[in-house]
Amino acid sequence: MLEITDLTRRFGDVTAVDGVSFDVRGGLLTGFVGGNGAGKTTTMRMVMGVLGIDGGAVHWNGRPVTPRDQRGFGYMPEERGLYPKQRVIDQLVYLAQLKGMTAAAARAAAEEHLERFGLAERATARLQELSLGNQQRVQVVAALLHRPSALVLDEPFSGLDPTAVDSMADLLREHASTGVPVLFSSHQLDLVEKLCDRLVILSRGRVVAVGDADELRSRGPVRFRVTLDRDAGWVREVRGIHVVDVDGPSALVEVLEEGAEQAVLREAAERGTVREFTPVRPALADIYREVAA
Amino acid sequence: MTTTLRTPPTPSSPSSPSTDAEAPGRTGTRSAWALVARREVVVKLTDRSFVIGTVVTLVLIAGFMGWQAWDSGRTSTYTVAATASDRPMADRLAKDARGVDDTVAVEVDDVADAGAARALLTEGDADAWLHRDGGTWVLTTDSKEESSLTRVTQEVVRQAALEQQASDLGTTAEQLQAGSTVRTSLLTGDAEKAGLASGVAFAFAFLFYIATLTFGITLANSVVEEKQSRIVEIIATSIPVRQLLVGKIVGNSALAIAQMVLYAGVGMVGLSLTPYSSYVTAVSGPVVWFLVFFVAGFVALAALWAVAGALASRTEEVQSTATPMTMLVMAVFFGSLFLDGAAKVVLSYVPPFSAVLMPTRLLEGTAQWWEAVVALAVLLATAGLVVRVAERLYRRSLLQTGGKLSMRQAWSAPE
Repeated sequence: MLEITDLTRRFGDVTAVDGVSFDVRGGLLTGFVGGNGAGKTTTMRMVMGVLGIDGGAVHWNGRPVTPRDQRGFGYMPEERGLYPKQRVIDQLVYLAQLKGMTAAAARAAAEEHLERFGLAERATARLQELSLGNQQRVQVVAALLHRPSALVLDEPFSGLDPTAVDSMADLLREHASTGVPVLFSSHQLDLVEKLCDRLVILSRGRVVAVGDADELRSRGPVRFRVTLDRDAGWVREVRGIHVVDVDGPSALVEVLEEGAEQAVLREAAERGTVREFTPVRPALADIYREVAA
Repeated sequence: MTTTLRTPPTPSSPSSPSTDAEAPGRTGTRSAWALVARREVVVKLTDRSFVIGTVVTLVLIAGFMGWQAWDSGRTSTYTVAATASDRPMADRLAKDARGVDDTVAVEVDDVADAGAARALLTEGDADAWLHRDGGTWVLTTDSKEESSLTRVTQEVVRQAALEQQASDLGTTAEQLQAGSTVRTSLLTGDAEKAGLASGVAFAFAFLFYIATLTFGITLANSVVEEKQSRIVEIIATSIPVRQLLVGKIVGNSALAIAQMVLYAGVGMVGLSLTPYSSYVTAVSGPVVWFLVFFVAGFVALAALWAVAGALASRTEEVQSTATPMTMLVMAVFFGSLFLDGAAKVVLSYVPPFSAVLMPTRLLEGTAQWWEAVVALAVLLATAGLVVRVAERLYRRSLLQTGGKLSMRQAWSAPE
């Protein structure tokens, strides 16, 4: 398990990361969400040891993380780049060797992963001859090749087409299922919602929410949709609720006082036929907008 | 998408003890520099422009040497026309020409008169016409002077005139000339060696200049390329930055030295085929000194080139961050050409000037072996210090990406 405790980093007068604490548990996919400049990349770089830490600590399996631990992690930096003029297979083998793999094991693993991403026949091409999407896949392979003990991926899905997003998601799930903690950042909230076991939401250098998707949703406003066989304008008279929207026979209400939705239901039943009465789960994007505002 | 994933290896599992022992199938970081160095070498050797450039240079060196050998061994035979009255002098010219210049041979062609001689010249059947005009010998050619033939003719005619006049005076040419020659002598070394020394010193200073400049720029560019593409972040999480720096210095130094040895080797083989072949043995001893100083000087400068690359954030900025290095390398080169006297002696101990000046002084015979050892020790110590300083600058600037850095900023940058 990767524990991040009170991590702080300042650039001049700007505190980019301000007392950030969360953990990345083994076997789970943890999504790291936040707007531009929220501090995601800075946090990940501190976790990987490529950026100094002004305050706080990173622990790996209960003790302070060491360069040796970090060497075992798989890392994908924010800005993509391998060696443009070198052959794909050669640079993958080189990077895996730097991680400590033998040349033979590195080559076998590289071939296996390229095969998986449908890039086997491009193995001897120079990186710059590949499309941007395929270069991105090679970058992903570079992070996964050495069977990392943890994965820290900065925007791994950006630039991937839907097919590649799916194989990437499969790959991350597979790594997580072997007990590896996986932390990845993303702007694509729908993807994060679908994929992640846990979410960490960052805003202006601070953690504003941590938890699984359901936990986070439960922190959002409780809403109900009620649909009748006649005009629903009367809901405006009910106490303890906030009417979000009324559209003919259908109304969306937000519960302000506990149990107020029951009053709405009783009233509706008295007035006519109730066609629909359902709780409305807020989308993660709404939660995000709310906590990050 | 059905490939099953093997269990991840164990180096960082909770149970692994935090010792330097690595899990089976894994290697430590201590020899990571060798991987980096090998990549630098392989990338360069598979770079078409590098290979072509090296081959072209070798062909040029071999071609120049070959031309020298062919040209110096070539004998030019001149046909000189002369009328019957001038025949004795022409014959003497034919007989003595070889003795004056062994690349000049003269054949005499009899002509009836001046008109016939001119006709021969115009038609190109004779190269020159030797005749008397009053008291003066004249060598007439068609449209261009044959300088070798002229020199030989002047010498032969002068000697003949001298002998004639000596005999008129009842004495000999030797007696007439007694005490008139000046022989040169040097207190230190000898003239031929001094000439050779300055030639070889120039060649090596030039090679050092070219090698430090081209490989230095290559090194700086390979550093900034990794920094710009952020692959350095992946590398820095895989191996210590020191290993990366050392690997780059070793790889590029090996390439530079291999290229120099290749050039120098072809040059020496070529030299052995020319009339200067006796110089090969005279040069080969100092060449070893040059190589030793070359390696130490190159390593010190390479570390600084790596820093120059790390101070830039983009390839376009290397030109300005590398300016001090370019100036330094040029100062070493021009210093080796123009320095003299006390300045030369003092700077032959001061790195990086010592890398070229001390072996030059050894070659000239103006430095003792212990002076070379002292200069080499200073140079090696400096190289070690520079690598350490460079490591700090390199490590701290490598991960800074907000534009160009100054040395001062890099030195005090937080990690």
